[in-house]
Amino acid sequence: MNTTGFVFDERYLLHKTFNGHPECAERLLSIIGGLSTAGLLEKLMLIKAEPADQRWIEAVHNIRYIMKFEEACLWGLPDFDHADNSICRDTYEVAQLAVGGVLKAIDAVMQGEVTNAFCAVRPPGHHAEVNQALGFCYFNNVAIGARYLQRQYGVDKVCIIDFDVHHGNGTQHIFDTDNTVFYYSIHEHPSFAYPGTGREFETGYSGGEGFTLNSTILPGRGDEEYREKLLGDLVPAFESFAPEAVLLSAGFDAHESDLMSGTSLTTEGYDFINDTIMELVNTHTNGKVVSVLEGGYQLDILPVLVTNHIRKLMGV
Amino acid sequence: MFITDMMKTDLIAVRPETTLVDAIQLMETGNFRHLPVIDGDGKLVGMVTDRDMRSAKPSTFLSEEEYQLTFDKVMQHTVGEIMTTELLTVAPYFTLQDALLVMRQKKVGALPVVDEKGRLTGIMSTRDLLKAFVNIMGIGEPGTLLCILVNEQPGQLKKIVDIVTEENVSMGSVLVARDWDEKKRAIFPYLLTNNVIAIKKKLLDQGFELIDPMGWYLGHLPQKK
Ligand SMILES: [Zn+2]
Repeated sequence: MNTTGFVFDERYLLHKTFNGHPECAERLLSIIGGLSTAGLLEKLMLIKAEPADQRWIEAVHNIRYIMKFEEACLWGLPDFDHADNSICRDTYEVAQLAVGGVLKAIDAVMQGEVTNAFCAVRPPGHHAEVNQALGFCYFNNVAIGARYLQRQYGVDKVCIIDFDVHHGNGTQHIFDTDNTVFYYSIHEHPSFAYPGTGREFETGYSGGEGFTLNSTILPGRGDEEYREKLLGDLVPAFESFAPEAVLLSAGFDAHESDLMSGTSLTTEGYDFINDTIMELVNTHTNGKVVSVLEGGYQLDILPVLVTNHIRKLMGV
Repeated sequence: MFITDMMKTDLIAVRPETTLVDAIQLMETGNFRHLPVIDGDGKLVGMVTDRDMRSAKPSTFLSEEEYQLTFDKVMQHTVGEIMTTELLTVAPYFTLQDALLVMRQKKVGALPVVDEKGRLTGIMSTRDLLKAFVNIMGIGEPGTLLCILVNEQPGQLKKIVDIVTEENVSMGSVLVARDWDEKKRAIFPYLLTNNVIAIKKKLLDQGFELIDPMGWYLGHLPQKK
């Protein structure tokens, strides 16, 4: 059994979105509930989150954008950059704390306190661009984590695996021209799903050509197609890139019961994703992986999927 | 939408007396497929395409030496000698629809746009048309496509638009497929949002059917006999 770290902080609940918004505090409460019912909560090593130092956020985001975001929250504006991105006065600090939680999890893994870690953070991050908030995301938690791994711990090659049902446009664009960060995303086909990017011909450019890989799943498709793409696309690409550390953009909105998407991945299908990834990290990165929550909006199924995911991280 | 909003206006044009060697260089450096030819008053007198240029070049079956010799000779000829003078031109008041239909019917890749005095004001090419379509479909912006099956009766689209408006969401575009089945239409609104759950729920509550677009696609694939 692995020692698995768990990032959670009650302050993550303070990012209040408008009534009826799918990205709500209840998501995290449902996850805590699920883990506690399953008896897993006390077996995890709780990692305390701290607000990220701004220089790490600046490693990815434009400083003017960071300031604009802070101001929008302080003024009490209802949203930032787009009506999707509902904010409140606390959102900026919670977003800083979400990044900080991921950085703490990376510390714990890199310093050998835990084998791997799951970060139950919000707001999510993978849609956030260098200077634009999109799709409920403000700071790109995982992208900042990748830069942190490289600059704080001298890790040369980082792989980000994004299995949220939506394409992580932000993460892809941040590392478009970078051959030290491999970005793999599997998501619903962009002709149907938000945000409309992540087609298979998007493979990075200039110095980063070949270091981005997208697998697309048509609406109504599920387990079989995921299996085919993970084995056919992810596994060989991962093996040839040979990363030293892995970050996951863990989204649970591809499930058949989640109305956010049109894919019909089952609970077992999610386990296949978990198993495939765990096999890769166990054989290539000494099990080093930090998993970061992105989407997942169906509050009955989200805790089940996260619990299963964490079980696989723990190896139980 | 008038073509003046989408045509290319920063044009490079040549005179009939321009040599082929100069014209080829302009086309290659600028990556143009069409080069308009104008007279001293700016009137359009002809067009040269990359295909005209290719057929003016000597045969590649010639030996290297012969090729170069013939090539140098050919290239001293002028644009006026090879340009197309029977031109299909359009006026600035043409719409996107006009351009689309003309280009399809006449099988041309570019339409010179001239004013009432015959002066060249722009060129509308298939590249510009593609750009216009990305814009019209709204897919240059992040969004989600919904696939809704409705009965063929008035007022259905309004109900959908009302629901989307109630949720404070903008539409990038709406496509309608009329040939879904006999008494049904499929409506595809492209919503500029990630937040589709509330809209989907309301649509279902009001009796709309959200369809799997792949069902339609598979229905249209050739069936095995
Ligand atoms: Zn998502």
